[in-house]
Amino acid sequence: MATRMIDRNAHRWGAGISVVVLVIAYVANLSALVMIIWVALGIGTFFGLRYSPLGAAYRIGKKALKLNIPIVPEDEPPPRFAQLMGFAMLSLSAIGFYLLDNRVMGWTFAIIVAALQTLLAATGICVGCEMYLFGKRLTANRGAA
Amino acid sequence: MITRILVIAAVLVACAVFAIWWRRREGRLVPAEGFFEHADVGLQPRERPAAVLVEFSGENCAPCTMVESRLHKLAAELPDVRVVSIDAGERLDLADRYRVRRVPTVFVTDPQLRVIWRASGVVSEEALRGALLGPDWAGRPHPGGVDAEPVPLARLRSRDRSRRRSRAKQRTPARPPA
Repeated sequence: MATRMIDRNAHRWGAGISVVVLVIAYVANLSALVMIIWVALGIGTFFGLRYSPLGAAYRIGKKALKLNIPIVPEDEPPPRFAQLMGFAMLSLSAIGFYLLDNRVMGWTFAIIVAALQTLLAATGICVGCEMYLFGKRLTANRGAA
Repeated sequence: MITRILVIAAVLVACAVFAIWWRRREGRLVPAEGFFEHADVGLQPRERPAAVLVEFSGENCAPCTMVESRLHKLAAELPDVRVVSIDAGERLDLADRYRVRRVPTVFVTDPQLRVIWRASGVVSEEALRGALLGPDWAGRPHPGGVDAEPVPLARLRSRDRSRRRSRAKQRTPARPPA
C-alpha cells in the first residue's frame, strides 16, 4: 500500500516554529506556550501531518511572503512517529507542570524537545525518523527470527 | 532570566556539536572488509564486473532513492560498474552479515566482490567517483588494484590482463636456441 507523502520542508519549518515558541516559553517562564506546542504535535500525531497547525503556519507564511521554497516529498510515517515522540515528551512536561507541580521536570522535557526540533530545523537530522526506521528493521528482524 | 538564556545557549551549542559530528560521519566512505557471494548480488559465478555498488535500502527511506539515483548515474557513466539494490528489510540475513545498522548503506566492491569501502547515509557522487576512479584519497589502494592515476574502470580489466600476460612472459624462461 502506498504511504501518504508530506512536504519535508513543511516538517522542518514547523520544527523551527516550535523551537522559537519553546525558547520564548522557557525564557519568559510561560508553561502555557509549551501546551500550545503539545496540542499542535498531538494534532499532527493523531490526525496526520497535513492537519498539523505547525505545517499550516508554514504554508500560510510561505504563501503570504511569496517564498519560493520547493516541495520535497517524504513518506509520512517516520516524521509522524517523530511527532509522536515530541508529543509524548511534552506530555511528561505537562505532567511535571500541572500534576506534580515540578517545573524542573516540565522544563527539562520541553528543552529536550526544543533541542531535537532544533536539530531537525537547522540540519534536517530527524532523530525520531531515524528511531522509527531503526525500530522497523528491528521488529522485522524479530519477525524473521 | 540570565540563567535561562545561558541554558538555551548551552543547549544550542550541544546541538551544533552533535550536528557537526553527525554530518562528518554521514555518507562518509570508510575502508571495510568482507566479501559478497555472487548469489547475494544476483551475479553469475563467472561474472566479474570492474566494481559493484551494493546499496542496502529500506521502505519509507527517502534518502535511499537519492543515493540509488546517484549510483545509477555513475553506473551509466562508468562502463562495467554494476549497481545492486538490496532491501534491508527483505534480506535481513545480508543486512546482519554486513552489519547494516541504517539505510542507505553503500558498499563498493572490487571485481572479486571483496568489499573495499562502505558508507552509511547519503554518500556524495564525488566520493563514490573518487573511490571508483582514484586517485585514492584515503591511503587505500584503488578498488581495481591499479596505479593511483584516474583510469576508466572499463580499462581496468584489460590493463590487468595485459599486466598479467607481461608478468607471465617475464617468468617463462626463454626457449634455448635449437
